[in-house]
Amino acid sequence: MTFLGYERPDGSIGVRNYVLIIPGGIISDVISNFVTGCKTIVTADSGSGRSKRDRETIARTLIGLGMNPNVASVIVHGRGLGSGYPELNVNRLADAIAKTGKRVEVLDGSNDSTLDLVVKGINLAREMVQEASRLRRREFDDSNLCVGVKCGASDTTSGIVGNPVVGYFFDKLVGKGGTALFGENTEIIGAEHILAKRAVNDEVAKAILEVARETEERAKLIGEDIRTINPVPSNIAGGITTLEEKSLGAIAKSGSMPIQGVLKYGERPRRRGLYFVDNWMSMLSIFLGYAAAGAQIVLFQLGGGGLVGDTILYSSGGVVAPLLWLTANPKTYRRFGDEIDFYSGTVIEGKETIQEAGERLYNLILDVASGTMTKTETLTHVDPNQIYTVDPML
Amino acid sequence: MFLNGDVKIGLAIKSVDNVATVLNDVSCGEKILVKFADNTSTRTIVSRENIPFGFKVALKDIQKGEYVIKYGEVIGRATEFIGEGHLVHVHNVEGLRGRGDLKNGG
Repeated sequence: MTFLGYERPDGSIGVRNYVLIIPGGIISDVISNFVTGCKTIVTADSGSGRSKRDRETIARTLIGLGMNPNVASVIVHGRGLGSGYPELNVNRLADAIAKTGKRVEVLDGSNDSTLDLVVKGINLAREMVQEASRLRRREFDDSNLCVGVKCGASDTTSGIVGNPVVGYFFDKLVGKGGTALFGENTEIIGAEHILAKRAVNDEVAKAILEVARETEERAKLIGEDIRTINPVPSNIAGGITTLEEKSLGAIAKSGSMPIQGVLKYGERPRRRGLYFVDNWMSMLSIFLGYAAAGAQIVLFQLGGGGLVGDTILYSSGGVVAPLLWLTANPKTYRRFGDEIDFYSGTVIEGKETIQEAGERLYNLILDVASGTMTKTETLTHVDPNQIYTVDPML
Repeated sequence: MFLNGDVKIGLAIKSVDNVATVLNDVSCGEKILVKFADNTSTRTIVSRENIPFGFKVALKDIQKGEYVIKYGEVIGRATEFIGEGHLVHVHNVEGLRGRGDLKNGG
């Protein structure tokens, strides 16, 4: 099967065609608000006061986002708070992204005021979006797609139907030679032995078990029953009783294909196939990491049965990767249908099988890949991003 | 696939599971037709309390300290006796993992 995408110089295929401006902060923010077709990352994680390991994560995320196939060209400037650290040096970031062959411009403003630099950036960005708009979509094989998934506000419909439908989609995508990313290190505790059995080799199996062990050790150091933190209150209100139950339902979203490796947050897979990512569940964090790893599309499989208050669902967390909201919960769909791109509660209602819903999801993803907007994409609202860092802030 | 007219449905994933997830709001005393995702067998149990959509019902008596099984895997341990037809949730089940509150860490 095929979709209509944008071919990049490195052979990757974009499903969108943005100019990216990094790092986050006022310069990027003003330019991207003023010039159409631009994206930037909105985050307080500048790298200032962070350990080398965390600065490397931030750099990997920014570079990966620039390399993402949905990005036509990139503007990098050196006015981020963390730019003085070698890992986050403007030229280092620009050179790494330029290896893809795409156009990367360094916004040089060493003698400029902030607003002078903004004006320079606006002029440059206008020229770059116009240039990007000359590229036309062409037909490409679905094996060029990389999709990342998170399950959230999970309830018991997630593990029974919602995640298995995504799992069916993942199996089909990987079977066709595509790439699929899943993660959430806390939400494999209690199910890691099942994932380890699906690892392609012993090394990968050990890496999966090690992620679960390390995460559980970190949790225990807090001295609380993890259930007071995760499963989160909306999980418990949605019928999930323990972390083990949540995890066993959560891993269903990964399908049944062999797991090729364990990736760090924002790390790009070396080959195609299914990968586990050592990341954190927050939607403001995880989708950015998937986009930095090369995902052109990201999925939020929502339970929602335990959501309280007027929770707003939209999220721009993937920055350059469009997000689809999915749910299998009939009550959630009745309440939040305006925000939901895909509904699989039909399986619970007896109208469809998991396989039929999975096929429908596959077709929808190809449609979105070809340019159809998701519900979230119709909004100009931008959520902040949270890069997944692990060390103390100093 | 799962719901069936006005009949109240409970879904168990594996035949070894001792809990099922109800796919309707179930009132105390109502019959629940329990289906198993891994085979075609069914059985009927009677709910002994109100069980909201998406929550779990005990398929048999579960003794205090006994494992609670869903997906054919251990999801926790009963902290008190749970009779067949009763609601199974945080009030009568504890997790075994990530127990920083316990001396031995769970």
